[in-house]
Amino acid sequence: MLEVIDLSKRYGRVVALDGATFTARPGRIVGFLGPNGAGKTTTMRCVFGLARADRGEVRWRGERVDRQARLRFGYMPEQRGLYPRMRVAEQLGYFAQQHGMGGAAAGAATARWLERMGLADRAKSKLEELSHGNQQRIQLATALVHDPELLVLDEPFSGLDPLGTATMTEVIRERAAAGVGVIFSSHQLDLVEDVCEDVVIIARGRIVAAGSIDELRAASGRRHLEVEVVGSDGAWIDGRPDIQVLEQSGGRTKLLVDDSVPLDELLSAARRSGELRRFSYQPPRLSELFMEAVAEPEADMAPEGAR
Amino acid sequence: MSRGRSILLVARREVLERGRSRGFIFSMLFTTAIIIGSFALPAILLGGDDTTRLGIVQPAPAGLDQAITATGGVLDQDFDIVTYPDRTAGQRALAAEEVAAVVAVPEDLSSSGELLFRREAEPAIQGVVNAAVASLRVNEVLTEAGVDPGALAAAQTPPTIRALEPPEEGADAQFLIANIGAVLILIGVFSFGFTVLTGVVEEKQSRVMEVVLSTVLPRDLLMGKVLGIGLLGLVQLAVFVVAGLVAASLTQDFELPTTTPGAALQLVLWFILGYTLYSTALGVLGALASRMEEASNASTPVTMVAMVSYFVAIFAVINDPRSVVAVVATFVPVSAPMVVPMRAALGAITLIEVVVAVAVTVLAIYALFVVGGRVYSGAALQTAGRMRLRDAWRSAGE
Repeated sequence: MLEVIDLSKRYGRVVALDGATFTARPGRIVGFLGPNGAGKTTTMRCVFGLARADRGEVRWRGERVDRQARLRFGYMPEQRGLYPRMRVAEQLGYFAQQHGMGGAAAGAATARWLERMGLADRAKSKLEELSHGNQQRIQLATALVHDPELLVLDEPFSGLDPLGTATMTEVIRERAAAGVGVIFSSHQLDLVEDVCEDVVIIARGRIVAAGSIDELRAASGRRHLEVEVVGSDGAWIDGRPDIQVLEQSGGRTKLLVDDSVPLDELLSAARRSGELRRFSYQPPRLSELFMEAVAEPEADMAPEGAR
Repeated sequence: MSRGRSILLVARREVLERGRSRGFIFSMLFTTAIIIGSFALPAILLGGDDTTRLGIVQPAPAGLDQAITATGGVLDQDFDIVTYPDRTAGQRALAAEEVAAVVAVPEDLSSSGELLFRREAEPAIQGVVNAAVASLRVNEVLTEAGVDPGALAAAQTPPTIRALEPPEEGADAQFLIANIGAVLILIGVFSFGFTVLTGVVEEKQSRVMEVVLSTVLPRDLLMGKVLGIGLLGLVQLAVFVVAGLVAASLTQDFELPTTTPGAALQLVLWFILGYTLYSTALGVLGALASRMEEASNASTPVTMVAMVSYFVAIFAVINDPRSVVAVVATFVPVSAPMVVPMRAALGAITLIEVVVAVAVTVLAIYALFVVGGRVYSGAALQTAGRMRLRDAWRSAGE
């Protein structure tokens, strides 16, 4: 289990992290969400010792993360990069060995991952000779080649075509099924909703929401209600402080409702106002949970460049 | 995994990636060819022409050939004597340019005879033959006049030769070796030091730095890079030195001074020290930059220091290897790598001085690794613009 505890970091006057705390469990996929500049990349860099936290620490299996522990982690930084002129297989083998694998084991793992990525025939090509998509595949393989116990991927889906997205999703799921803890950041919330069980939402350097998506939904005090009533002007909603109208056109109405509002009561009210065609009551989508979580109390923007 | 293995893996990657590159291999072959050529060419072009072939028409006075070769020896001129049965045969040989000149002197020394050239008289040959014939004839005359041959020989004893300030043995060769050594060190330190600089910038530019540093400590990355590229530099230097020594020893006219083996060893030692010192500094400066142009700007102070050290070595030290400037420069880490091997090649340095110079330089390298390593750590992941030394130092507080 990876524990991020009270991580704080300033760059000059800019606060990048302000007491961020969360955990990532083995076999679970954690979506690490937050607006640009919220502190996602800084958090990941702290995990790998690439940024030095001013306060707080990162623990792996109960102990402070050190270089030996990090050898068991796999990392795909937001800024992709490999040696452009190095041959693909040698490159993967090099990173495998840097993670502590022996020469033979590194060679075998390299062959396995090239096969898995469908690039076995490009083993001897220089990286720069590969297409952008294939370079991305090698980048992912670099994070995976040493069979890590924790996978940290910074925006792994950015710049991927649908095919690449499918491969990435498949690999992430497969690794998690094998017991690997996976943390990845993304702005594609639909994708996160699809892939992740857990999410951690960070804003202004603080964790504003964390837990399984279901828990977050349950914890959210609001529900979406979509009602279509023929012949109604929507007057049945008026005057209720616990209901917020999101959208209204003709008889169709989208509402945000407090979960304290009794459903029966609403249903009856809708029925009384006209012919009810549709009444759909559902928990909020992840994107809505996200907006809700990161909404700034004072409603000003997150500090510039605080990443 | 140990840090040592991590460093070695970095070094191995550098050796394999750069050592196999066409640029490295071609430049090494090319330079080796130039070195061998520069020794072999003069030998090929000038080597055979040092002896003069001289014809003597028979019958000739006894001892004429010895007299000519002996006189020639004094004037540092070798003669190859060919005899011809008569004057006609001698002239034919002269016409065919088999000999440079033909001497025809009566056997009884009744006259001074003739010295024949094909077109023009060559003063050098003329001088030697004149002196040889004259001495034979003078001896003949005096002996006939009843002069005691012993007294005659004694009278002809040349004055004892003595130089007040004799040049040291092989001084020219020493001078040459000292200069070649200084150039090799300067070129080696620069070309491989700058390889470290560009290597660091490339890692930043290609953004591979962050992936590497997620497992390799920044200091280990720098150390491995310096080590790997240094090994290539050492291989290249060794090839150059061996090629030069072999070519020099095969060329008969170039006699290696006795200080050569020591000088070669010092050259290798100081290449290692000088390269490590300068390339570490360049690697750290490379980390502060994010683009190649910035890196070359950042490296200017190091370049200046190296050039000044080189000029101190070739002007002050060559002029007087025991001067105050030379001695001071011996104990300054940045100039020692050029000054010490030069003084050693000139045979003008004591063992104690060498040991102290090595110690001082090693200390400087260590200090640079400590300070530079921290700056490197702080700057390695900075990818926007040029970072200031102080900021890099601060951001990497441990």
